Amino acid sequence: MEINTPSKSLAVSIVSLVIFITTWELICRLGFIEPLFLPAPSQILSRAVKMIENGQLISHTLASTRRVMVGFFVSSMVAIPFGIFLGSSRFFMAVFDPIISLLRPLPSMSWIPLSLLWLGITETQKYSIVFMGSFAPSLLYIIEATKSIDPLLIRAARNLGASKLDVMKEVILPGSLPQIIAGLKVMLGIAWTCIISAELVAAREGLGFMIMNGKEYFQTDTVLLGMVMISITVMVIDVVFRKFERRLLPWTR
Amino acid sequence: MKGLLRKTLCVLAGAMLLLGGVSVHADETPEKVTVIYGGSSWLGHYPAWVGIEKGLFQKHGLGVLFQNFYASSGRMGSLVAGDLDVASTGSISAIALMAAGSKGFMAFATPDSYATVEGIIANENIKTIADLKGKRIAAPFASSAHVLVLDILEQHGLDPEKDLTLLNLKVNEMPAAMGSGEIDACAAWTPHFNKLLNMPGNHLLVDDTEFSLYKKYKLGPGPDLLVVRKEFAQKYPNTCKAFVKGYFEAVDMLINDPEESAKVLVKLTNLSMEDQMTVLQDISWIPGQEQRALMVDPGDFVTGMQQLAEFLVKHKQIDNAPAVNEWIEESMVP
Repeated sequence: MEINTPSKSLAVSIVSLVIFITTWELICRLGFIEPLFLPAPSQILSRAVKMIENGQLISHTLASTRRVMVGFFVSSMVAIPFGIFLGSSRFFMAVFDPIISLLRPLPSMSWIPLSLLWLGITETQKYSIVFMGSFAPSLLYIIEATKSIDPLLIRAARNLGASKLDVMKEVILPGSLPQIIAGLKVMLGIAWTCIISAELVAAREGLGFMIMNGKEYFQTDTVLLGMVMISITVMVIDVVFRKFERRLLPWTR
Repeated sequence: MKGLLRKTLCVLAGAMLLLGGVSVHADETPEKVTVIYGGSSWLGHYPAWVGIEKGLFQKHGLGVLFQNFYASSGRMGSLVAGDLDVASTGSISAIALMAAGSKGFMAFATPDSYATVEGIIANENIKTIADLKGKRIAAPFASSAHVLVLDILEQHGLDPEKDLTLLNLKVNEMPAAMGSGEIDACAAWTPHFNKLLNMPGNHLLVDDTEFSLYKKYKLGPGPDLLVVRKEFAQKYPNTCKAFVKGYFEAVDMLINDPEESAKVLVKLTNLSMEDQMTVLQDISWIPGQEQRALMVDPGDFVTGMQQLAEFLVKHKQIDNAPAVNEWIEESMVP
């Protein structure tokens, strides 16, 4: 079957999703898997309805969204100028490269003990976990995006009398922005993976908290609902991000 | 990797058993000579530890492997997943697992009754429960300490959602949080409970004897329960009997010779000998001959557990109260 239109592609995706959920429901209903290990989609839906009714689902989702967005926003605000700066300077890149290489492989969870000592059990500590989990990878994306600008363009601009600032404004930024935005979209998804670590200590709300608390009470449906909510929230934010991208980069349409 | 480790441990335990030389009556010979036990440094695991260290299981032809878990939920999850054979657990996790409909485990005894080894510790500015209003209090959620806090707040007319900030914090993270003043009070259990109490400025606000079910039934907020994997109990009845014998001999040793027991327990708890003896003084061990009255038809303890299940439903911690007596394995009750 040839998929040559967006509507056909959407139809195939919907059918595939329906088959996946139906098979999952059947496996659970026929008793092949104990609900403790994998609850049926209908059980997760029923938990969702219950938690929407008492307002918990919305408050957990909003709490996590706030933590991710603050941590990610601060991380991007630091990573974008710093990444462009490092991407345009070989000397400073050589200075900072070893430090970035040391930070890059560290999982967000490894920052929990230090962040607790430095920031205590505050909201800032939770933001910092998202920040540390997304900063180094974002920085690398931005450095690479900046480096990808054709040096010929920079030299040409210089020869035509452009100052360093002009080159930055007229060549490097417009040229690297599409790749930076694409990288940030990926990083936003990664920032969401930090939410479990961020809400592991001293949280009383949030999707990460909801998942871990559900685990303590063996409410596997709550655990899966939390996971589904993270995916849905990321999808919604991705749509918003794309709209923002189209406005910011009209020439890439 | 986990499987390989488990197999290696089993082989080692079997070899130790053979080298140790055991004499077991032929018709009661354990079908399986190794038992994997899920424990921690909490007092509910003292008998298993003493049994292992003093060779009481070995006397009955068993090698028992003590696997450490931080929380009861992880231990119970591993039990029903088939990685553990026997465990002691806080009742909250057992009830939560029952409420989730798991039939993969059974309960057969309660080793101890304790008081004053768990409680709410506060800084010097908080003199009464009413002073907690507007303050930050921490408890590990889904634990006996959490249940104690909910109950005490309810008894004093405080709403944990509106009147104060109740935070989810592990007991080992509490000393730093109390020290830095980020929390005003916390609920913990021994050995962390004792450590928190020894910190300057901290004092005991209330202990588990104030728990409403303790006042009525002498039942603490998270009484200990011995559980067995159902498939294991069905497949290896002699092994289970041998385990129960060795276990309750250890309980007898804890009752009759606490000092000798404390000498081996300090390796588990890292408490000083003095602190260890203090903790032991606060525990009432329940010997084997008293277990049937507690666990069968329906048994005082099982009745208390049922009350606890209903308490958890009332406080919206679980969805429904399971019929606890359906999870009792009578054949293993001594």
